[in-house]
Amino acid sequence: MSKIMTVDILSSIKGAQPSEAVSQLFEVIKNAHPANNNPSTTVNYNAVSLNDLRADKVVESSASEKQIIKDNFPKGKGGYLVVTKVIED
Amino acid sequence: MVSKELTCTALVQEKIALLKQNKYNTVNCLLSEMALDLAAKVDAKISRGERIGLLEGIPFGIKDVYMLQGTVTTASSDLLKQYKSAYTATAIQKLLDAGAIPLVKENCDSFGHGSSSENTIFGAVKNAVNPEFVAGGSSGGSAVNVAKEYTVFSIGGDTGGSVRQPAGYNHIYGLKPTYGRISRYGLMAYASSTDCVGPLAKSIEDIRIVLNVMSGKDVRDQTTVFSEEISEDAIGTPKGINTIGYFKNFIESKAIDAEVKADFLAMIEKIKSKGIQVKELDFFKSDTLVSTYYTLAMAETASNLSRLDGTNYGNRVESGSLKETYAVTRSENFSEESKRRIVGGNQVLSQGFSDAIYLKALALRDQILENFNKDFEEVDVILSPVTPSTPPKIGDSLKDPLAMYLSDAYTVGFSLGQLPTLTVPKGTATGLQISAAKNKDATVLKFANFLKEIV
Repeated sequence: MSKIMTVDILSSIKGAQPSEAVSQLFEVIKNAHPANNNPSTTVNYNAVSLNDLRADKVVESSASEKQIIKDNFPKGKGGYLVVTKVIED
Repeated sequence: MVSKELTCTALVQEKIALLKQNKYNTVNCLLSEMALDLAAKVDAKISRGERIGLLEGIPFGIKDVYMLQGTVTTASSDLLKQYKSAYTATAIQKLLDAGAIPLVKENCDSFGHGSSSENTIFGAVKNAVNPEFVAGGSSGGSAVNVAKEYTVFSIGGDTGGSVRQPAGYNHIYGLKPTYGRISRYGLMAYASSTDCVGPLAKSIEDIRIVLNVMSGKDVRDQTTVFSEEISEDAIGTPKGINTIGYFKNFIESKAIDAEVKADFLAMIEKIKSKGIQVKELDFFKSDTLVSTYYTLAMAETASNLSRLDGTNYGNRVESGSLKETYAVTRSENFSEESKRRIVGGNQVLSQGFSDAIYLKALALRDQILENFNKDFEEVDVILSPVTPSTPPKIGDSLKDPLAMYLSDAYTVGFSLGQLPTLTVPKGTATGLQISAAKNKDATVLKFANFLKEIV
């Protein structure tokens, strides 16, 4: 069964509603008539060549970087990140 | 410094004092300790008789959306007001490696969301020319610091005009390079397909030097491209620039101020009188450009900012369950403008809207790019005003978001085209924009030097 997701749920913002100003911008797009309605068939934006991909390997962070990441934990205990109860619904 | 008339430490102290006293709300955080340590090293090097590089000991500012390890990077938001950078952005690291000294994390619109630098928890940035007016945005603090000479140059970020428009409002130079010329690694993502790192400075030469230092491929940003260093000689004369163009509909628009229009057309006549051919070009209507840009930028920012939920970092607001914690954290910590853009982005990406709006906007972007490709077969440079009108008074943009979006009409097209575009403080009250084809950043600087000579 499909469940309709409203913008407040999609955005994780309580009580969020579409804005009048933004809707006016979207109206312009709805009424536009692009010559080619199939995007990205003509223009190659920024594709990376397969020969140019970065190596697929794990790079260890420095000790100082790891420490700052821990310092940024909103809530920590014994060096671990404490999260809100995850299992629900 | 090399002639020992001024020490680097004295220079840095002077700039920090100016930043501390300033009433323009340009400062989110001063980096005094780091700056003075680095200055002492430069002084020691000079006293040992060692050569110093072009940027060594030069104080600069950083828009508060760039990572600099160990410093607080807030994005001018409540959500990240205590967030400490774990690493350093590639562009900033290159400047540090060249010996430049970071002084300040600069005020801006929160997450780059704005065109006035009023959407910030640190207070609206005031215009350097008239403090009753906005500084422009989103890199408003950076532009004002350069204009007031609190920094020698600053590093802003330009997604839809955020370097060029505040540069125009504060009468300085501001460059959005070709997309991919400078790595975005360590720049907080707003709209990844148009985000660019851009320098603001008081001279073309400073822009050239800083651009050269920051440019280059980076494995950490796979959209970066190879680029050649731009030499001073290469941009000294307008050789090779024979024809320029301007968009007729920008100038015939009802929204343009009469004075901006008259000044722009007078500049066109002056250019013609120097033997350069000028062509009128057709382009998309302003509302189509603005709507295409904002549709795509909102979709991208909704995705990019979805990671900000207070779980791993940021100002988490506990609220019982996980989903409630996400929602309350985001509701209480994002500004109204950021929420408007996130909601708009999720709207266009959702089922039923994506075909009618998001995919159509992508198709329009393709057409805009094709239009540019055709134009640059005929002209070497496109010249345009930076903004249709002069800066609004502080407070006015917040009352009318649609008017704020529409004020970006002349900058967003070049962002969608990923073109190198420079604001020069000449020609109209808010300057002129010079654009060239992709990767022709040198052409833009070359034409800027030509304009400097004739105005």
